[in-house]
Amino acid sequence: MTARSDLIEQASLIAPNSVHQPLMSRIGRWGLGFGAVLLFGWMCHNLELRVDVLVRGFTKLGTLTKAMFPPFANGAELKILQALLVTLAMAMTGTIMGIVVALPLGSVGAKNLIRNPILHFAVRRTLDFLRGVPVLVWALIMISAFGLGPIAGVIALALADFPHLAKQFAEALENSDPRPSQAILASGGNRLEAMRLGLLPQVVPVMASQSLYTLESNFRHAAILGVVGAGGIGFELEERIRIFAFDQVAWIVVAYVASVTLLDWISSQLRSRLI
Amino acid sequence: MSKSIDQGSPSDPASLSLEQIVENFEAERSRALRRGRLFQLVQVLCLTALLSGAFQASGLFSSYLGDGAIGRIADFLARLLPKLQADHLFADRATAGSLAFWFYDLDLWLKLLAETVQIAIVATVLGAIFALPLSFLAARNLTPAPLIYWTVRRTSELVRTLPDIIVALILVAAFGLGPIPGVIALTLGTTASLTKLFAEANEAADMHQLEALQSAGGNWWQQLRFGLIPQVLPTMASYSLLRLEINVGAAAALGIVGAGGIGVELSRAITFTEFDTYFAVLLLIVGLIFVLDLTSEAIRHRLMGVEQAA
Repeated sequence: MTARSDLIEQASLIAPNSVHQPLMSRIGRWGLGFGAVLLFGWMCHNLELRVDVLVRGFTKLGTLTKAMFPPFANGAELKILQALLVTLAMAMTGTIMGIVVALPLGSVGAKNLIRNPILHFAVRRTLDFLRGVPVLVWALIMISAFGLGPIAGVIALALADFPHLAKQFAEALENSDPRPSQAILASGGNRLEAMRLGLLPQVVPVMASQSLYTLESNFRHAAILGVVGAGGIGFELEERIRIFAFDQVAWIVVAYVASVTLLDWISSQLRSRLI
Repeated sequence: MSKSIDQGSPSDPASLSLEQIVENFEAERSRALRRGRLFQLVQVLCLTALLSGAFQASGLFSSYLGDGAIGRIADFLARLLPKLQADHLFADRATAGSLAFWFYDLDLWLKLLAETVQIAIVATVLGAIFALPLSFLAARNLTPAPLIYWTVRRTSELVRTLPDIIVALILVAAFGLGPIPGVIALTLGTTASLTKLFAEANEAADMHQLEALQSAGGNWWQQLRFGLIPQVLPTMASYSLLRLEINVGAAAALGIVGAGGIGVELSRAITFTEFDTYFAVLLLIVGLIFVLDLTSEAIRHRLMGVEQAA
């Protein structure tokens, strides 16, 4: 025992704060923790997150979950698969439109291509602002502009994607190595050749990989856009939740999860080949 | 391509003259190039077919957007903007054309924005609390059994494929309208994604410190508390803040399906075609997310600084 207390004494000589923290810092730390817990409790109170409400809700959720088994499509298998395909088509079209808009904007936003700092700043800040708008919010606007249907969802996806893609494209361009282009210029190539042979081989795989990633996330987003009326699988799902047909809901969810997994797998295979 | 060039000269190179070798090489090279071009052509054709199918199915060409679609969009955008009048911009709520008239229900909107932030914070905190123990099970270097590792990882992947909105939609059917389904839906998504991120932080941790504690007689809990947590806590806090940013945006959107917060007001404004109100609320949401991004970025940079210094 003496050896142990000796060791503690030795340690407190070398690093006093690690053995005995000053009282004030301990009080401060406990106070901060207590305050955080209090704040959290206050928030839960504001949101009416109470035990009885939770128990009641989860009991009802249990009944709903029981109604989900076994999943049953009620003869609408083909319709649901078709809706999944429409959702995929929306995701792809939205991604392509997003890429088309993002390419020129990304090039303007890249410091090494456009040297005008005012233009650069304006583009970047505008993109920052647009990135804050959730895709569902765009969808609501587009549905009231174009009416119900997949096209509103496609435009909403493109609008939500292009600020992200433009930023990523700009970063890909900025991260490229300037030396291949310089080498081509030095050996007598013109600027077009320097871009085609020096810059593009570096950035195209990165951009393609980011576009595939966007496609994956768009497939998820396209599914939720259907909930507000933009067609596709979300529409079918919302309809069936409304009428409490939870066995059909379960069938749709299973089909949806399977197709998301499949798309993610294909996309990750393609991406690993690109880079 | 290089493989076919290697196979292209079966005869002994020593017996061939230089011209023949060059000729063989050139022939082989043009054949390989031709094959490559054909492959590219097939790829381009497949992609074109796929994309035109997608364009067709999503109604890009067939949709009737009305006469002068551009004009209609412009008209719609004009309706989004409020009709402000310069001479009584700062007049009270009753005067048409003032800022207060545009933001006519600001008190309610700020309350709903606060609710949105609270939904996001509560869901992030709960998600992080649930994800911490799960992340030990889902880290290859800490898990008690490979089967548990596999189960936790696959479950978290499965939950992550379900969008928050769809989970919230089902939960609204069980819990009724209000913030609670939003909190639960976001907690579920946050737990799943933070479990994965935390587990990766755990896997990147230096195991020597845990071994040192073990050799000095520390038990499992002490190893985690003094060997692992100090290493991974800054990373975990930074991931949680990042998730908080995402959750604020998601919480704003969840209101559209009736799960509380500012989204309720957004969908109300659209239903009543109050497009200028919609724009006002949208500005508030984007402003909130912008401020939050800057704050959390500053905090994250400080945390990362702490991590690098430690």
